[in-house]
Amino acid sequence: MVENRVVGKSVKKIDAKEKVLGTALYAADIKKKEMLYGKILTSNITHGILKSINTEKAKAVKGVHAVLTGEDVPGLNSTGMIIRDEPVIVKKGDKIRKIGDTLAIIAAETEEIAENALKMIEVEIEELTPVFCPYEAMKEGAPQVHEKGNILSVRKIIKGDVEDTFSKCAAVVEGTFKTGIQEHAYIEPEAGIAEVVGDVINVWCCTQNPHMDRKEIAANLNVGLQKVRVIQTTTGGGFGGKLDESVQIHLALLAKATNKPVKMVYSREESIIYTGKRHPITMKYKTGCDAQGMLLAMECEIVADTGAYASYGPGVATRCAVHATGPYYVPNVKITAFCIYTNNPRSGAFRGFGVPQVALAHESQLDMLAEKIGITPYEIRIKNALRPNMKTATDQLLEQSVGITKTLEAAKTRAEQLLKIRL
Amino acid sequence: MNTINISFKLNGKDMKMEIKPQLLLLDMLREELGLTGTKNGCGEGDCGACTVLFDGKPICSCLALAVNADGHEITTVEGLGSEEKLDPLQQAFIDEGAVQCGFCTPGMLLSAKALLNKNNDPSDAEIKRAISGNLCRCTGYTKIVKAIKKAAKMKEV
Amino acid sequence: MKKKGVGIANMWYGIGNTGLPNPASAYVELLDDGTAIVLTGCADIGQGSDTILAQIAAEELGIDMDDVALISADTGVTPDAGKTSASRQTYISGNAVRFAAREAKGVVIDEAARLLSVDPEKITLRNKILTAEGTEKSISLLDCLNECRKQGKLTLGHGSFNPEVIALNSETGEGKPYACYGFATQVAEVEVDTETGDITVLRMVCAHDVGKAVNPSNVEGQIEGGVSNGLGYCLTEEIVVENGVIKNTDLATYLIPTSLDVPEIESIIVEDPEMTGPFMAKGVGEPALIPTPAAIANAIYDAVGVRVTELPVKKETLLFKMLKKEVS
Ligand code: FES
Ligand code: FES
Repeated sequence: MVENRVVGKSVKKIDAKEKVLGTALYAADIKKKEMLYGKILTSNITHGILKSINTEKAKAVKGVHAVLTGEDVPGLNSTGMIIRDEPVIVKKGDKIRKIGDTLAIIAAETEEIAENALKMIEVEIEELTPVFCPYEAMKEGAPQVHEKGNILSVRKIIKGDVEDTFSKCAAVVEGTFKTGIQEHAYIEPEAGIAEVVGDVINVWCCTQNPHMDRKEIAANLNVGLQKVRVIQTTTGGGFGGKLDESVQIHLALLAKATNKPVKMVYSREESIIYTGKRHPITMKYKTGCDAQGMLLAMECEIVADTGAYASYGPGVATRCAVHATGPYYVPNVKITAFCIYTNNPRSGAFRGFGVPQVALAHESQLDMLAEKIGITPYEIRIKNALRPNMKTATDQLLEQSVGITKTLEAAKTRAEQLLKIRL
Repeated sequence: MNTINISFKLNGKDMKMEIKPQLLLLDMLREELGLTGTKNGCGEGDCGACTVLFDGKPICSCLALAVNADGHEITTVEGLGSEEKLDPLQQAFIDEGAVQCGFCTPGMLLSAKALLNKNNDPSDAEIKRAISGNLCRCTGYTKIVKAIKKAAKMKEV
Repeated sequence: MKKKGVGIANMWYGIGNTGLPNPASAYVELLDDGTAIVLTGCADIGQGSDTILAQIAAEELGIDMDDVALISADTGVTPDAGKTSASRQTYISGNAVRFAAREAKGVVIDEAARLLSVDPEKITLRNKILTAEGTEKSISLLDCLNECRKQGKLTLGHGSFNPEVIALNSETGEGKPYACYGFATQVAEVEVDTETGDITVLRMVCAHDVGKAVNPSNVEGQIEGGVSNGLGYCLTEEIVVENGVIKNTDLATYLIPTSLDVPEIESIIVEDPEMTGPFMAKGVGEPALIPTPAAIANAIYDAVGVRVTELPVKKETLLFKMLKKEVS
């Protein structure tokens, strides 16, 4: 085989030089002539109906160029990567479902003017009873976050017969695991700038997917995809948090309404309040093995709280289910993963997509079983690790590139050297 | 509105500015002077992305008033090196893969610069302490520490 | 008293969207002077995809890194490459770029075959030279491009790739959710202070099967950053929500790891080649952090005999459980 010349080499990153010089342009670094600043008014209640919104006083403030409400969105007025369930700006008469739902957006000559004008918008909200616990939300009669009910998705993976198998296991362990809400905390808060040139609306922003942004902007401005150009600026980290729409659609609406460039930069606080998080998940696990430690059955129920909007929630719950066994051969499985709406902050994509959560559970369960059977954590793992020509819980036959036994051996060897222990 | 005249050294050059008294140093650099290499990651002194050198010491420019610069010397990433002549720290950051998204990089470089100015052979622990106010979400700091260590040993490039 | 413990955790991670189409595409133009432009919709968010994709193009075209200019993530110019998520860009956009480069290369290969009077299959392009295998015959890339232009032939390529998946059955979950998986094992060494409940992670040993490391330094960077993310998730990071309201909205109260918190991280790159990947590569972005909290949790158990059931691990909970264990 010929050796590669470039692939496999630690070549220097092609964008590193401009980054160390400080010349790389992030969205917040861009300035345009006659640029306006965008700001958003958001709800500070978790569940309610927007009864009325009066922007007259805000519009009259000197230096304010536009104040837009839900009525001013020419297109769908909805966004969502899997399901369009999130309003771009909540319309009068429509529902507010979490803290931070957008009620109005403003473009003004300075940030200060925009902030002051925001305070002059009068809103009237009829409060509704919220629901914060996903288990409560699943019950009959719970406050409904969305019309279709609070159970957003259910993913099942069923293979063999767990009940029967558990009764034949030499060891069975059970446990409930819960994970908290993690914030992406990229050091660059969301930012962007939009400008209409001819009949094309240009949006420069930090993002993990400009083509999806284009789709969302076009759908909400009710223009063809060819009339929207999204240009990713140097992006200061994403980790999943810059997949959902943040400033993009709002900026496009404001630029279109004012016919001037508009820039919006989230403060750290805004970034934390407005954008998605890692799903908090509760996992009930039961796992059984034979006397040698070979896994025989696994049952688990996974409940993910996606908050007020779906974002990537159903995808996260599905990924939890698919990965729930860990990289092991388990002949009998019964896995159910629910994704539930509540009035909590929205959770979405976050590096790992639900898999770090289930990893805590399955890896704890393996250690618990190993202890019961009297083998080491390493032994139970190497015995059960998937190998080529084995099937996963979804009955997928893995044919090649199944490196888990190799990573186990490599990690063991190095850890034993470095830590001077036996694993 | 009343303004104040200040004069200071910026990246080795004498500067005179007429500014509003409440203007932040970070805003003067980024908005008034267009030096956008200095970043704003929080505006509250928590992340270190806005780090600049004030008479050689690292400070958060988001917490400092621009008037405080009067009579002092400020160094930003733009003053550290140039396209043609990188600072050894900048070169080491590139070589060691210490840059991912790069948003923390300018601040990180300046904290490191301040350290190397007073200690040309720092230990890992000293390096970690010197950059502990600069948050990086991408790299896990490992390669940043290596780069700083390497730069300490490098001659000017 | 301080007690040490060691924990081990495995993970697997399907590359790409789960049981759904998720294609990416790219364009490559090989220019008159043997340099190339790559257009890809793939958004580099700091993880380094621009570099990885340029490497793949350079390798396929037999030219140097410096010869490649890459334009990414501009919908006015670059074709759709899908999301930068699901650890999919090296695998999926990597393939798209490789196929685009291959198509552009095909033009010069055909031309070289004609000029050297051999079958195109016999021609290889490496180091800017087109060589007819098993013969002495060769032509420089530059001359060959020149010949192409004389005949009005441009050297352009488009490539796209959509991993082969089968949607999951809604009742049984049966299907082929991903075309390939990344695997990893991490070992954590921790120290628990039995009086204060303080947990210090001393060392992480992380072995990751990435198929092929297109850029080993980059892979290490992903592992180191991922471990740091996972460490924070396990020990300090928690958005506190009360009645739907986030209580900690700044980085002084939401604590991500600083340089003082991150332990020694030992990265081990394992390459179990993925036959469908570009140069046999898979992905590593997310795998890097997945086993970290689990490995730390198991190490805590090894140290003090208390099973971690909640993330983040709170000192008070740990102390309470340790006490309860002592009493019983
Ligand atoms: S911007 Fe100054 S410390 Fe974060
Ligand atoms: S490189 Fe992204 S924050 Fe440090």
